[in-house]
Amino acid sequence: MTARVDRVALLAVPGLAYLAVIYALPLLMLLAKSIRTADGVSFGEYAAFFSDEYNMRVLWRTLRVAALTTVLALVIAYPTAFAMSRAKGPWLTVFLVAMVLPMSLGVVVKAFAWSILFRANGFLNSTLQWIGLTDGPVRMLFTETALVVGAANVFLPFMVLPIYAVVRQLDSRLPEAAASLGASPMFRFFNVTLPLTLPGVVAGSAFTFSMAISMYVIPSLIVGERQQTMSMLIARSFLYLRNEPLGSTISAVLLAIAIFVVVFSSWLARRLGARQ
Amino acid sequence: MEQGKFPRHYLEAWGIAKSFKGTRVMSDMNFRVERGELVSLLGPSGCGKSTLLRIIAGLLEADEGAVVLGGREITRFPAHKRNVSVVFQNYALFPHLTVAENVAFGLRARGMAKSATGAPVSEALSLVRMTEFADRPISALSGGQQQRVAVARALVVGPDLLLLDEPFSALDRKLRETMQVELKSLLLDRGITAVFVTHDQEEAMGVSDRIAVMNAGRIEQFADPSTLYARPASPFVMDFVGLSTRISGRVVSSDAGTIAVDTAYGRLSARSDVTVGKDVLLGVRPELIAVEAGENTIGVPLTDVMVLGSKTVLHGTARGGDRILCELPGIRGGLKRGDAVTLGWAVDDTLAYEVAP
Ligand SMILES: Nc1ncnc2c1ncn2[C@@H]1O[C@H](COP(=O)(O)OP(=O)(O)OP(=O)(O)O)[C@@H](O)[C@H]1O
Ligand SMILES: [Mg+2]
Repeated sequence: MTARVDRVALLAVPGLAYLAVIYALPLLMLLAKSIRTADGVSFGEYAAFFSDEYNMRVLWRTLRVAALTTVLALVIAYPTAFAMSRAKGPWLTVFLVAMVLPMSLGVVVKAFAWSILFRANGFLNSTLQWIGLTDGPVRMLFTETALVVGAANVFLPFMVLPIYAVVRQLDSRLPEAAASLGASPMFRFFNVTLPLTLPGVVAGSAFTFSMAISMYVIPSLIVGERQQTMSMLIARSFLYLRNEPLGSTISAVLLAIAIFVVVFSSWLARRLGARQ
Repeated sequence: MEQGKFPRHYLEAWGIAKSFKGTRVMSDMNFRVERGELVSLLGPSGCGKSTLLRIIAGLLEADEGAVVLGGREITRFPAHKRNVSVVFQNYALFPHLTVAENVAFGLRARGMAKSATGAPVSEALSLVRMTEFADRPISALSGGQQQRVAVARALVVGPDLLLLDEPFSALDRKLRETMQVELKSLLLDRGITAVFVTHDQEEAMGVSDRIAVMNAGRIEQFADPSTLYARPASPFVMDFVGLSTRISGRVVSSDAGTIAVDTAYGRLSARSDVTVGKDVLLGVRPELIAVEAGENTIGVPLTDVMVLGSKTVLHGTARGGDRILCELPGIRGGLKRGDAVTLGWAVDDTLAYEVAP
């Protein structure tokens, strides 16, 4: 008997074809540009990129901002996911709408709304001065802090939803069993609740981090050209400098980081999941 | 505590009331257990068994009342400060931990170093014959094995009280019976005081020293299995603890603790002080009925004869809400559906309950 093709597997064909043409092919062409020069294959562009101090600063800033954004989003999302899992009926709808609606608003609208909040004579500064916490206006707009706060806001749903999905399935009797075995609330959290919700945390963090390292619109609007990120470098290389090899090289670096994050997080998730 | 009331019982839950969203599910519940006793809470679904158990465990707060354990009032103690272990219906084992880590959980929660948990954990595992499974993940265990781990996990901490909420209900009949015997001897050997929730009367009778039969948030009767079976305090208990012949009628005369009752099957007698003119429900355990005339005698056609091996069950034609049921030991041939038979039993074996007309 000959091996038969699983018919269900055929369902993947349109998706794979689409990905191959629209995603993989252009990406490969881009990568090819980063290593092909007039006289053959060379990694000179990479050497040049990594030896440039400015580029390294941008790379470091991009990673730092992405990490801080992920941490901030996590700190806000984790308790939110628990609140959502307890919410019933209309409250759950309110939560979900509150999560999803801002996504449809678009980053541009949000960014301009924030500038009202953050600017020198904006709401936050007036309030701080009114309470007496600060004497004069504090610079908020165009700072890394504002960028992290804004980015965490935009990516929050991508952190909350995977955690919510895990928390919702958490067996409520497990913390009860732990309590009856003498575990304090703190011990219960660190030994039962946290480990069991970690897969959601890993998934949400991977989403958020990989989106945050490649964000372009948010930093352009909040901090502007002054503090570049990797994506802004890429755009500048292609659009202003017309330096395709440079743009391709930075893209490849960014892609490598993203691939690492995805592979590492799915390995971690599998390891965590293997025992459950 | 109530003024001047000294707790004489090991576990005492008294005056317990609980409502969920304005609906009273329990009021003025009093429940006492002595040290070393195995007690069952038996009752139909929704009667409040788990609610009472959770209040004793500290997993649920009562609206009123107090819980005293070993002379200490623990009403306001959170669950983790009560030293009361719970075995849940679906075991609630920690899926991210191995068998041994599950058993060690309570010890570590009490601050024992990980390295010190080895000895007590392996002792607990050998107690439930799960030693070779120590390093397995929970997902690799069968239902019965999970149940054993849950028992080991609950016992290893040396609880003052063990609460079990339908611990066997997820197991098949054969395994359930094995586990009942195992658990009972384990608890008796170690002198553990345990409260055991079930809605299976045979399980309750087999496992416990005393049974509290619950109905709609109240304890109808709290007694040892034989009393409960032979002298049920109410028609509810009579029906919940085994099946019986039930015949309703009206008292027509009363003399020195013996009443005569007019029924659809003729006049029957019972020991009771229900007064003349009242409606009563008479009950007889089926194995106390013989196929011959007795002090009480009725004649009925049989609607069914079931030969079950260890016993033969006869169903008689019943009128109204009555039920005629007779159990004979062993295999009894010669009787078949449609035969008119004479059934008889003793007056002393006849239960009588006054009922609203
Ligand atoms: N969290 C809750 N919210 C609302 N009602 C509840 C809650 N827990 C229990 N009840 C109600 O309280 C009553 C007693 O419930 P309980 O779980 O104690 O019954 P049970 O005797 O354990 O039943 P079962 O044999 O089905 O487990 C039921 O009517 C139930 O619907
Ligand atoms: Mg229950």
